[in-house]
Amino acid sequence: MIFKFIDITFSIGTERELKNPLSGLVNPGEVLVVRGPSGSGKSTLLRVLSRLQTGSGGEAFLEDKSWSGIPGPVWRADVHYLAQKTALFDGTVAENLAKPFETRLTGGRRAFDPSGARELMEKLLLDNAMWDRDVRTLSGGEASRLAFVRSLAVDPRVLLLDEPTAALDERSREAFYLVLSRWVGQNGRAVLLVSHTEDYKQLSNSIRFLDIETRGGI
Amino acid sequence: MENSTIPISNLQLAFSVLLVLITGGISSFLRLGLLKSLVWGAVRTFVQLTLVGYALTWIFQIDSPAFIALIITVMCYIASRTASGRTPNVPGYPSAMAFAALMASTYIVGLIVTVLIISPQPWYSPRIVIPIFGMILGNSMNGIAISLDRLYGEARSRSAEIEAMLTFGATPWEAVRGSVREAVRAGMIPTINSLMVVGLVSLPGMMTGQILGGADPREAVRYQIVVMLMIATAVAIGCLMLVGLSYKKLFNSDGSLQPFVLQSRK
Repeated sequence: MIFKFIDITFSIGTERELKNPLSGLVNPGEVLVVRGPSGSGKSTLLRVLSRLQTGSGGEAFLEDKSWSGIPGPVWRADVHYLAQKTALFDGTVAENLAKPFETRLTGGRRAFDPSGARELMEKLLLDNAMWDRDVRTLSGGEASRLAFVRSLAVDPRVLLLDEPTAALDERSREAFYLVLSRWVGQNGRAVLLVSHTEDYKQLSNSIRFLDIETRGGI
Repeated sequence: MENSTIPISNLQLAFSVLLVLITGGISSFLRLGLLKSLVWGAVRTFVQLTLVGYALTWIFQIDSPAFIALIITVMCYIASRTASGRTPNVPGYPSAMAFAALMASTYIVGLIVTVLIISPQPWYSPRIVIPIFGMILGNSMNGIAISLDRLYGEARSRSAEIEAMLTFGATPWEAVRGSVREAVRAGMIPTINSLMVVGLVSLPGMMTGQILGGADPREAVRYQIVVMLMIATAVAIGCLMLVGLSYKKLFNSDGSLQPFVLQSRK
């Protein structure tokens, strides 16, 4: 087991609530797919697990260490959340990839590896010529793949992906799952994946499921 | 006598009502709907300034540094309420922080100016201290209000980028550094601009007042230079302190963004 969470609860609006507290676990090399209808709190679960917001109860563990014993910034870097809405920083593609290493934590762990990033970009069908382009000129699909490369470059232990392929076409989707499969398979990593579609079947890793059920609402 | 004040008599003061009539005429001609506010504003100007005139006459005779410090503290309190009350991006902001920032910037700069530069006898001479501290306060109040509003506005519009930085292990400071810089800059720009054009576009109020009061323009200019520089310094200190104190309010104790930053402005 690399990552597990027990009895996580949070509010998802005034009219709806979780039917049951949420628990789950992933072993190294595994992917946990989180399923549930729109508005059931899939994104919120990932945000709570990465400590971008606080839930109302429950506990998560990274390799048997409870999150209560790990400082927020360290936890967020290790249990890294990649948002569905791509958030890039003003500047070029290269500046975006290097930006995380400006933090004392990530920059202190390792230096930015431009050639590794270029290699990943190529595998994701991103032209290396865009290295110096202003990120505001990227298409939605290019931007979301760039954000994915940026997240992999900081090398989190657990990657929380929120609809990562929503903006991608068929070909880049295949490339995405190929890169993700290989990444999860190495160095004892794991992934939590929120997805509307069944594209995750392209993954060659072993897959677990968590279904979120809610009560009330429409 | 060439260099003396020309006093304004009661009758002459009454003539200034003419000016109000002109403004009122424009307002009713164009139906601006401002007539009532204009009349009320004019009345308040007469009453408030007359009272302040009497109050200052009394205060200027006081020979107690402690009491003068108390007056300045009250002025800081009123300014901090105003600064934190009129910031649309910042609902329910605790004015205690604005108060702390204004107190620090006003006292640091005010004491340098009165004790070191103007050095009246005694150094706490209220005739010098009260107007100087008042000018500092009036300007830094506007500066900190702008930078506070900008800090919250920036954090809201950049919340996705701030959260992205957090997911890379950024501390709150690392995540909002860019917004903090923008906020301090925004607060200081009006003051920097006025440094650029002072004397070219308009003569500052204090200098105008001194010249009308019969002072030698060359002397008045010296005072104005000191005043301009002290205002710039006070604004810089005030903005930096307030933004430095406030950015933490955008985050919860775990170092992630408060929910209000992620929601639409109410």
